[in-house]
Amino acid sequence: MNKILLVIRREYMTRVRKPSFWLLTLLVPIMLAALYAIPIYLAMKPLEKSVVLVADESGVFGGLDRDDTLRSDSHFASTDNVTYRYAATLDYAKRLMDNEKDVTAILYVRHRASDALPTDACLYYKSDLPPQQVRYDVDRQLQRILRNRLLQAHGISDDEYALISNTKINLRTEDLETGREAFLDVKTGLGFILSLLIYVVIFMFGSQVMRGVVEEKSSRIIEVIVCSVKPFQLMMGKVVGIALVGLTQFLLWVLLTGIALVGIQATNSELFQTATQKHELTELATKGNEATLQMQQADQMADIPQLIEGIASIDFGVILPAFLFYFIFGYLLYATLFAAAGALSDNDTDSQLFSMPLTIPLLITILCMPAMVNAPSGTLSVVLSLIPFTSPVAMMLRVPFGVPLDQLYWSMALLVVAFPLCTWLAAKLYRSSILRFNRLSIRRKKR
Amino acid sequence: MILEAQHIEKNFGDYRALDDVSIAVREGSIFGLLGPNGAGKTTLIRLINRISRPDKGVILLGSQPMTDGDVQHIGYLPEERGLYKKMKVGEQAVYLAQLKGLSRREAERRLIQWFDKFGISDWWNRPVEQLSKGMQQKVQFIVTVLHEPRLLIFDEPFSGFDPVNATLLKNEILALRDKGATVIFSTHNMASVEELCDDIALIDKSKVVLSGSVASIRRSYSRNLFEVTVLAGDASLSLPAEFQLHGTAVGDGEEKLRVTLPEGRTANDLLAALMPQRQIVSINELLPSMNDIFVETVKKGGDE
Repeated sequence: MNKILLVIRREYMTRVRKPSFWLLTLLVPIMLAALYAIPIYLAMKPLEKSVVLVADESGVFGGLDRDDTLRSDSHFASTDNVTYRYAATLDYAKRLMDNEKDVTAILYVRHRASDALPTDACLYYKSDLPPQQVRYDVDRQLQRILRNRLLQAHGISDDEYALISNTKINLRTEDLETGREAFLDVKTGLGFILSLLIYVVIFMFGSQVMRGVVEEKSSRIIEVIVCSVKPFQLMMGKVVGIALVGLTQFLLWVLLTGIALVGIQATNSELFQTATQKHELTELATKGNEATLQMQQADQMADIPQLIEGIASIDFGVILPAFLFYFIFGYLLYATLFAAAGALSDNDTDSQLFSMPLTIPLLITILCMPAMVNAPSGTLSVVLSLIPFTSPVAMMLRVPFGVPLDQLYWSMALLVVAFPLCTWLAAKLYRSSILRFNRLSIRRKKR
Repeated sequence: MILEAQHIEKNFGDYRALDDVSIAVREGSIFGLLGPNGAGKTTLIRLINRISRPDKGVILLGSQPMTDGDVQHIGYLPEERGLYKKMKVGEQAVYLAQLKGLSRREAERRLIQWFDKFGISDWWNRPVEQLSKGMQQKVQFIVTVLHEPRLLIFDEPFSGFDPVNATLLKNEILALRDKGATVIFSTHNMASVEELCDDIALIDKSKVVLSGSVASIRRSYSRNLFEVTVLAGDASLSLPAEFQLHGTAVGDGEEKLRVTLPEGRTANDLLAALMPQRQIVSINELLPSMNDIFVETVKKGGDE
């Protein structure tokens, strides 16, 4: 068997057989699945019943001095989960809270003589913070009641209000030639995810290469190995072997996460639906103004097709090959240099020092990301996406926005050219340093 | 000559590690590469292993200039030796043997034999880090010789071995020599040089300062000092004044005399003077030990 293949095989097998590899391979999909599943389970979980005492000095929110001329939806309405009770004064409410265990919080609306309408309300609680659902519901009802008071005072009908509040003008960004919408938000998100992924891959597996080299050096097996394998073969075998480990892990992540998500959806589809329906019904019951409600819902719903449309508008035919290309070549470019940094050092502490110059271009790119998102075709973006050391991260940020093909090809070509140059340099450093220990002390001896 | 290094020069920056170094190793012999620390022994060994290249000079293997493929014919046990700590012993040995060109099956077959021989078969599936240092050394030795190379290079092979294992190792080295392998080894242990080596080269300050067969070198350092054993007699011995008598040890009815001969005299002359007086049991020339020669040569170099 070819020696470089033997080295690749060893590097691959020893890493893939480690428990830590499988731990990481399993943990990431589990974490992603949990991120997806936890909100579903929380939504399904029956909420605790909460009781909120309303001490309204102003009378605006249906307190003691209730104004009977007001419309019926101008006071707090209990929901499935939150029961509202009115208390005459704050002191009385406090006493009630001390005596009754099921009182969750007191809503106190202060009345200042100078204000026509109250501007300040406070939700008091004792030791246990009221659930977010309760705070959310209280806030929503406060705003609704206030709004209804104003509508009534100014003689505006609900229909008129709905018309005013729901009339919007939609601003889109569209390509003049293709007539397609830009969907900048979706693209920004995707660009961030892809370029951060490339950054993580380069760092994680690049430093694995470095640690592997340091291990060979510090255990002194290197001297045994280099008399049967050329240093270049050893270095490339290590770099390629670890690349295969990375690809394996990545594919397993994608596969396992996919299986987990499909599994969660399949087993919980009914519960998931009932949970959302229930949620909608609760909202329906608590919202007095149905017209407004429906308009708002329509508004929210519109976001989702827009997201889907945005994703669909992205040119995955370019993004996926580009990602694979920058994933592989970005890693290769850095991995050989990380190997050289490992060869220059005697131990892990040294290697941190020697790998510093490698981390700087990557960090600069990460720091420039916000500016690049601001102007994906600006000078900074173009320059960073052409320089081989920054291009893998920078270009992946730009690709979802659409990059002129000649720039993409130039960037790829420069990276492809830089790779053998870097490898040549790294191999030279690697060969000359791999058998030198305590470089500093040797120099001293020479003098 | 199985291996010849001719006029080798190797520089590291401004530092000349080897300066016009030539050695010749006879096939089937054991060759000692001696020298104080930092003299350039390891540099020369690395050149022979093609780990690095000489700046000047050539290395011939079987009278052909060496090529990269020739490392298959060399087994090298470095002074600074190690193994992958997390890897299992057997797996690692197979890997290292495969790198030397053996097939997996052949490597396993030979390894099982060697492991049996050294009594470490039980350790096949253990990670290396669980092995004692002595056992790791055994594994390293096995891996070095497994592909049955024509030329074996041991750099300080005995360091770190206990006396039992050192003897085991020594016998294995001799057995390999008897099977036709040529052995180069570098060491500070001068007793083992006298015991094992046929030829040596002493390197000091990047240069070969002494080389040749161990016997001829020791003879050339002869001080004309002889030890004669005679049966004890009643009358006291008297030697001509030109023979310098260093002392007499009496015991077991025998007397041991140490005598330095003057220039131009031989052992026969000494015997002729002694024979009328005593019965001769034995006569030996006391050659300087390799240790003495080493120290003397290196010191002389240091004084210059």
